[in-house]
Amino acid sequence: MNATDIDLQRAVEQFLYREARVIDANDYKTWVTMWAEECLYWVPSNDDDSDPQKKVALIYDDHKQIEDRVWRLSGMHAHAQRPKSRLARVISNIEVEQKGDEIVAYSAFMLCEVRKNETRFWAGRNLHVLEQTPDGFVMKLKKVMLANNDTVVSNLTFII
Amino acid sequence: MVTQQAEPLSAPGSWASQFIRGDEVNSEIYTSPEIFEREVQKIFHATWNYVAHESEIPNQGDFVTRVIGRQPVVVVRGDDGVCRILMNRCRHRGALICEVQRGNQSHFRCFYHGWTYDNSGKLVHIPKDDAYPPDFDLESRGLTPAPRVEIYRGFIFGSVNPAVGSLREFLGLAAAKMDLMIDASPTGELFLDAGIHKSQYRGNWKFVGMDGYHPPVVHQSAFEIFKRKAVAEHGGEDSAAAQAPRKTMNDSPLAVSRDLGGGHVMLDVVPHRISEKEHHLASMRRQKDGEAYIAAMTAAYGAERASELIAIGGDPHLGVFPNLQLINQHVRVTVPIAADRTEVYLYPVRLGGISDAMNEKRLRKHEEFYGAAGMGQPDDTEIFERNTDGLQATVNPWVDLSRGRNREYVDSDGSIVGKISDEVTQRGQMREWSRLMSAS
Repeated sequence: MNATDIDLQRAVEQFLYREARVIDANDYKTWVTMWAEECLYWVPSNDDDSDPQKKVALIYDDHKQIEDRVWRLSGMHAHAQRPKSRLARVISNIEVEQKGDEIVAYSAFMLCEVRKNETRFWAGRNLHVLEQTPDGFVMKLKKVMLANNDTVVSNLTFII
Repeated sequence: MVTQQAEPLSAPGSWASQFIRGDEVNSEIYTSPEIFEREVQKIFHATWNYVAHESEIPNQGDFVTRVIGRQPVVVVRGDDGVCRILMNRCRHRGALICEVQRGNQSHFRCFYHGWTYDNSGKLVHIPKDDAYPPDFDLESRGLTPAPRVEIYRGFIFGSVNPAVGSLREFLGLAAAKMDLMIDASPTGELFLDAGIHKSQYRGNWKFVGMDGYHPPVVHQSAFEIFKRKAVAEHGGEDSAAAQAPRKTMNDSPLAVSRDLGGGHVMLDVVPHRISEKEHHLASMRRQKDGEAYIAAMTAAYGAERASELIAIGGDPHLGVFPNLQLINQHVRVTVPIAADRTEVYLYPVRLGGISDAMNEKRLRKHEEFYGAAGMGQPDDTEIFERNTDGLQATVNPWVDLSRGRNREYVDSDGSIVGKISDEVTQRGQMREWSRLMSAS
């Protein structure tokens, strides 16, 4: 790795850590600002690489749907997030590749969720595609490949 | 219309009657492990269960593993093209012969001692078979088939009770309601090949129910989103589009709760949708490939019926007791695990004879509301868990299912009808529960 690569790696790591901190805090408002206007928040169901045109997903949100999702969660009637999940996640194994204007980041995560006396562990891999803007990175794609996406999935209404 | 009230929830003096007081039910039936055990035997192991759909196993050797009650089965299409339900249990010492959820195999091998069966269930190989006498025949030691298998238009049902009546008799009035989903396809084909939303909750299987009373409360936030979207797309808070989600559930005489008998129930919004068919057709025409769909449906069913089926949108909102529901864009299966543990599997349906783009739109519509991260289903699950916790307060154990008892009536087809928010559906399911649980 040359010095430029190391700078990029560091910058991307900092962005992923920041995103983790923001969503661990259920800070939906800030999280929405971390997305590009043209974007996809994708959590496949049953498989990591299923064709979204033919297969159902757990989440397949464009920017508008992300806004609707957090708008609902910010209100008083999203019962599955009353009380809210308390979250702490570790992001690790971060690899970064520059592909033209896009930056691709692979990572793994472990997440501890506590809600109503129940403690759950979630794990999986993330694929982020980021775009460099004058104000820093924004997400064009966040794909979350849950280790448990082909078995029963519990309440996933917090931001994964 | 005949104004006549339906039967009581249980026959006087029957086993079930000890838990029933008029239209009230003792909450023990939702919490007791002993009653749950009896349900497994007297309901799930006694009647028909929906097991799989033919489209899940289109090719020779395709299989899925499922349960009937708590009995593991393999649903497999043999090399002879026949769909079978085979008990997932080696004839030797009883280990599973198939441990994955789906796949394609010519043979099933038990990896305990190596007994091997072909995909029709026939035992074809025993390692070291010289250890058995010459008259030890393989022929009679094939995988045990489920005692009963019958298929209704692609829906494979099985029963572990050899004495159960015919599937058609069991489905009764529900069969024609299932058609409403199937006939949303111009070719009459459903494809349950789009994956599965698998979820679970800490609560009783009967909570899945079929309830037209809860949506404005439990799903208020989802309705607000629908409204936000409609206003964004069509403008105006008072526009028809913005009002549509609430209108259906608004105790209109065109949207009713219906008890079809046999525990099969529906939230019947069919007349409401047909009354707005011009609106549905217009919106279909605006959709990508909508014109082609209307043309194909018209060719298949004639203009009048096609317009009704398009308005209905393939959603009978039907529950087939005990474990199947056909709702919106999906087929739903309830799997009872314990008195306080239930798994729910949602199979989004792709329609045959329509474009990939339209089918993709159906998937996106489904996942908006359903699945572990949807804006609807997790709120239902949350409330079911609150129900489980609340029912622990047994000082007064009675649960009230009387809503609309005073205004229900028997329709010309014999089904019982109430307003959409009435507990006609809960009472229908409870009557069949009582009958099966009390059977000798």
